[in-house]
Amino acid sequence: MSQQEPEGRWAIAHVHASFNNTIITITDETGAETLAKSSGGTVVKQNRDEASPYAAMQMAETVAEDILAQGIEGVHVRVRGPGGNLQKNPGPGAQATIRALARAGLEIGRIEDVTPIPHDGTRPPKNSGF
Amino acid sequence: MRLAVTGTPGTGKTTATEHLDDRASERAQDTRVVHLNDVIREAGLHDGEDPDRASLYADFEALGEWLDEHAAGTDEDVVVESHLAHHFDAHRVVVLRCAPETLESRLLERGETEEKAEENADAEALDVILAEAVDRHGTDAVYEIDATDRSPEAVADEIRAVLDGEREPSAGTVDFTGWL
Ligand SMILES: Nc1ncnc2c1ncn2[C@@H]1O[C@H](COP(=O)(O)OP(=O)(O)O)[C@@H](O)[C@H]1O
Ligand SMILES: [Mg+2]
Repeated sequence: MSQQEPEGRWAIAHVHASFNNTIITITDETGAETLAKSSGGTVVKQNRDEASPYAAMQMAETVAEDILAQGIEGVHVRVRGPGGNLQKNPGPGAQATIRALARAGLEIGRIEDVTPIPHDGTRPPKNSGF
Repeated sequence: MRLAVTGTPGTGKTTATEHLDDRASERAQDTRVVHLNDVIREAGLHDGEDPDRASLYADFEALGEWLDEHAAGTDEDVVVESHLAHHFDAHRVVVLRCAPETLESRLLERGETEEKAEENADAEALDVILAEAVDRHGTDAVYEIDATDRSPEAVADEIRAVLDGEREPSAGTVDFTGWL
């Protein structure tokens, strides 16, 4: 994926999308320091809605504001997990997150899917599932 | 009926389904358990290896055909057990769940590497298999069972209840994201 050479500080947005929940964590580029964090549970009270694109969008807005104030200019996005509503890669929760981060004024760099693969001597073919 | 029993490696599928056999004699309907991971290896239904995970890429097409040949057109109940079982046709799908910390220590005790235990624990925390199962089979056919603090016998009884139509479908009943 192409992108301009970053000028200001960049960060990594880690999006964890489980069946019921979305968690967004922003770290510095090394992954060592957490700059901001939000979980679906903190925005939407009803459990079933925590994985919804709406909750993800609200969380993304909050963390975006937070890191813009810290002088971050853009983020690389790492998505882990299929998310709840049976979304193809990267699902609505993740897509809503990325759109909201961009709308808040952050540049978006590389988007990577790093969903863990269940394996036990056998595993699914390369391009199956999400 | 064909029942898929799936779940992240370490949730106890093989152990629980072995206990299903014990109770088979009490039933009118015979139950046959197919351990799909063994089939993949013994029948050579794979296509290359993932060197990072020391795992064979399952050949889904060949496996689907194998199942149609060996596990269809029978009066028996066929239980297909594997972390890949939900990728194939089934009337009902049991998804075994286990708290990631428990799952990780089970895998380490079984002698697996730390990398394997951790990636599987992460997959469990992110509901990867549950989401795939619901995606393919729908919420009406999926039965989630939390096996964290249950004996293999108790889990076998739950699986039996699904076979016998004594359990309602369920999905999203656990939240293991605290692990992440
Ligand atoms: N209900 C249970 N309670 C405690 N330990 C279990 C239980 N079921 C399985 N185990 C242990 O956990 C490990 C993984 O079980 P296994 O049946 O091989 O899981 P799977 O087939 O889902 O990978 C084994 O070492 C097994 O002895
Ligand atoms: Mg097994």
